[in-house]
Amino acid sequence: MSDATTREDLAMSEMTFHPQPRGGAPRPWAFPAPERGALPNGLTVLRSHRPGQQVVAVEVDIVAPLETEPAGLDGVATIMARALSEGTDRHDAEEFAAELERCGATLDAHADHPGVRVSLEVPASRLPRALGLLADALRAPAFPESEVERLVRNRLDEIPHELANPGRRAAMALSKELFPASSRMSRPRQGTEETVGRIDAAAVRAFYDAHVRPAAATAVIVGDFTGVDVDAALADTLGAWQGSAAEPVAVTPITADGTGRVVIVDRPGAVQTQLLIGRIGADRHDRQWPAQVLGTYCLGGTLTSRLDRVLREEKGYTYGVRAFGQVLRSSAPDAPGGSTGASMLAISGSVDTESTGPALDDLWKVLRTLAAEGLTDAERDVAVQNLVGVAPLKYETAAAVAGTLADQVEQHLPDDYQAQLYARLAETGTVEATAAVVNAFPADRLVTVLVGDAAQIAEPVRALGIGEVTVVSG
Amino acid sequence: MPMGHTATEKAGSGGLTATEHRLANGLRVVLSVDPLTPVAAVCLWYDVGSRHEVKGRTGLAHLFEHLMFQGSAQVKGNGHFELVQGAGGSLNGTTSFERTNYFETMPAHELELALWLEADRMGSLLTALDDESLENQRDVVKNERRQRYDNVPYGTAFEKLTAMAYPEGHPYHHTPIGSMADLDAASLEDARAFFRTYYAPNNAVLSVVGDIDPEQTLAWIEKYFGSIPSHDGKRPPRSGELPVTMGGQLREVVEEEVPSRALMAAYRLPHDGTREADAADLALTVLGGGESSRLYNRLVRRDRSAVAAGFGLLRLAGAPSLGWLDVKTSGGVEVADIESAVDEELARFAAEGPTPEEMERAQAQLEREWLDRLATVSGRADELCRYAVLFGDPQLALTAVGRVLDITPEEVQAVAQARLRPDNRAVLVYEPTAADDSADNDEEADR
Repeated sequence: MSDATTREDLAMSEMTFHPQPRGGAPRPWAFPAPERGALPNGLTVLRSHRPGQQVVAVEVDIVAPLETEPAGLDGVATIMARALSEGTDRHDAEEFAAELERCGATLDAHADHPGVRVSLEVPASRLPRALGLLADALRAPAFPESEVERLVRNRLDEIPHELANPGRRAAMALSKELFPASSRMSRPRQGTEETVGRIDAAAVRAFYDAHVRPAAATAVIVGDFTGVDVDAALADTLGAWQGSAAEPVAVTPITADGTGRVVIVDRPGAVQTQLLIGRIGADRHDRQWPAQVLGTYCLGGTLTSRLDRVLREEKGYTYGVRAFGQVLRSSAPDAPGGSTGASMLAISGSVDTESTGPALDDLWKVLRTLAAEGLTDAERDVAVQNLVGVAPLKYETAAAVAGTLADQVEQHLPDDYQAQLYARLAETGTVEATAAVVNAFPADRLVTVLVGDAAQIAEPVRALGIGEVTVVSG
Repeated sequence: MPMGHTATEKAGSGGLTATEHRLANGLRVVLSVDPLTPVAAVCLWYDVGSRHEVKGRTGLAHLFEHLMFQGSAQVKGNGHFELVQGAGGSLNGTTSFERTNYFETMPAHELELALWLEADRMGSLLTALDDESLENQRDVVKNERRQRYDNVPYGTAFEKLTAMAYPEGHPYHHTPIGSMADLDAASLEDARAFFRTYYAPNNAVLSVVGDIDPEQTLAWIEKYFGSIPSHDGKRPPRSGELPVTMGGQLREVVEEEVPSRALMAAYRLPHDGTREADAADLALTVLGGGESSRLYNRLVRRDRSAVAAGFGLLRLAGAPSLGWLDVKTSGGVEVADIESAVDEELARFAAEGPTPEEMERAQAQLEREWLDRLATVSGRADELCRYAVLFGDPQLALTAVGRVLDITPEEVQAVAQARLRPDNRAVLVYEPTAADDSADNDEEADR
């Protein structure tokens, strides 16, 4: 220890300190503008050449809202998405998986409120081969009865694991609480034990026949295309997919009950309480979205935001609490009846059981102080610098660019939406950002879900007066 | 045909090059230029991890990593985070068994700021470190432990497996997150002594990758880091040497409130940096990587006895690596049935070796994983540091994928025969209860 002290002294005496450096001139960067086109079969194609990105990302958006699942068959979209890769007209399920992996590719498919998303990643040199497999999966899935049955059983086995996960359990409870029971949004995206149990190959085939066709789909393809004939590869693969013309899919407007209240999902003995505090708000078509992004960042975007400054860095109640806005579903702004989109606005994190009451108390104080005093110009400036500044980092990989382009398509946004968002963030002032975040997170109209030990947390939470407290079993 | 089916001309290096430098105080520096995107990654690896911790102070390396973000001589409070994020950068630090890393990815024109910040804390952390920061971050880390391990089903499985696979007293017996009791016991003096012992320029490697001017970058590094004194007080970690195999099967049955039965096991495997480790990686990929693997086909597709089944590899340089089997059962299937099926598949694989198609698939999968890791400047910076710190040569990062593609089926079979045996594993079985107490894992603990 003594020699170590000497070293500290040395450090103090010897290290030469310099003033904080100032940055140089920013080098130009812009969110990539994709090239938009269509294949003769009606498939929309967006492509973006990203030099250096040797792993190409392909995202296929299929318009098939969960709301269109037949009554009592929640989860059929999920099972169909998974069954796409379980055998085609050319390969059985095991061969298909082996062929994909032979390309060094990954293929994922999942169903969410707006539709089904199929994601492929593959080294550029093997793109044509992998696109062939992707096209087979979309064009001619076999949906063998035994594979569908296996996927159903597998899905039933997954459900208890999801219910045991505090974060997933909280998300399910919040959806159930916020949306009317008649709304598909109130129920788990991938179905319940009851509904999944009813799904068979015929139901999967029927959902496929109703929704999966090139005219109702968009493929986004991003990566380094040097030496790859993308046109030929697409024509030979996704170009061979055939189907009828797309009919518009009508969806019902999203409504929610935003009365301030608390639901505790009881987990006796839990060492932490999972918090999920939310409500619904407008989607990205709303003009206030950029201001809301900015304000939400200031509230809970990072560990130097208002929530973590108190809950983590001052009090040590948590490893981190985040505020965010996530689009649930959007429709085209010119759709009949106007826009019916919405997003989930939420604050999420875990706190130790004992600190649950004090942590919520502090969280509400942060919200009330924000409403009363607003954001500071300095906070707004740092937030803009971060949100705009990180764009070149955030969009380094092909997968990141493809994901955002596919989200834009799914949400009926123009292809230059993200590029414009950066411009608008830079123009947004402190007053606008304050108004947007206060409007997004009103202290008296938030639904709070707590997954934790009710015996320990219910009383302290009741005492806070943040709404009526109900306890449900875990 | 060792390199016959590589996806890229240069087997994953993508034409990357790196230059190496050393300051007079011992700080090793690796630079790699990539002008494609206007970003620059800074990565600093300190050669200290949880293997350097002593009894009664588990978790100290990770707790200390948190303290590195609490300010230094010229950086107030959370200034490190605020300044990097305010410049449009992203940052974090992580602690593993073998090292602690700190990294910033910056818009290229803000590179100098990241270097200034890293130098400030390397040279002057102790002038800002106080009890208030320690008490606060102790609570934060305890909540990290609860959130990632204690409050999640099967959350402490990895901790239990490593405790069995590396015997009491072995430097890898405990995981980086540490125990609650030891986190409680850590004192300010422990933290100070830890810094004085391990946080020295000659115990670190700094890599900078991206749209950089190497001469200018090196001049900045010399300017900010050059005057930090070197220090030779570091004690080497306790030896991680162990016999090649465990010589017997270890077993623990855990009764907890978990959603299904589970069979997990840790196999003792060759050290990272050897051909045998790459062969083991391929063996585990054929057996349990992805949805065309032998175990997935057998347990999930054919027997339908498991909801998920796979193998993972934790590569370690200072101790034997660890192959991690994880199977969650389907419905009421018994663990014994899963275990005999797994043993049958491992024995068959050891007897037959991989088929040519399996070798091709496994190599293609591992190659893509390498391309993914090298797709970002921060991924490349981290790999350059890894090979510099653990193997003394950052250039090895640029040829790693070539080495995986060079492995023969015979080598894969040999490692399976020697290592993937019941007498070389620690088994962890979960039996669900309806009581209240339960607990996933990671070799790393993020900040």
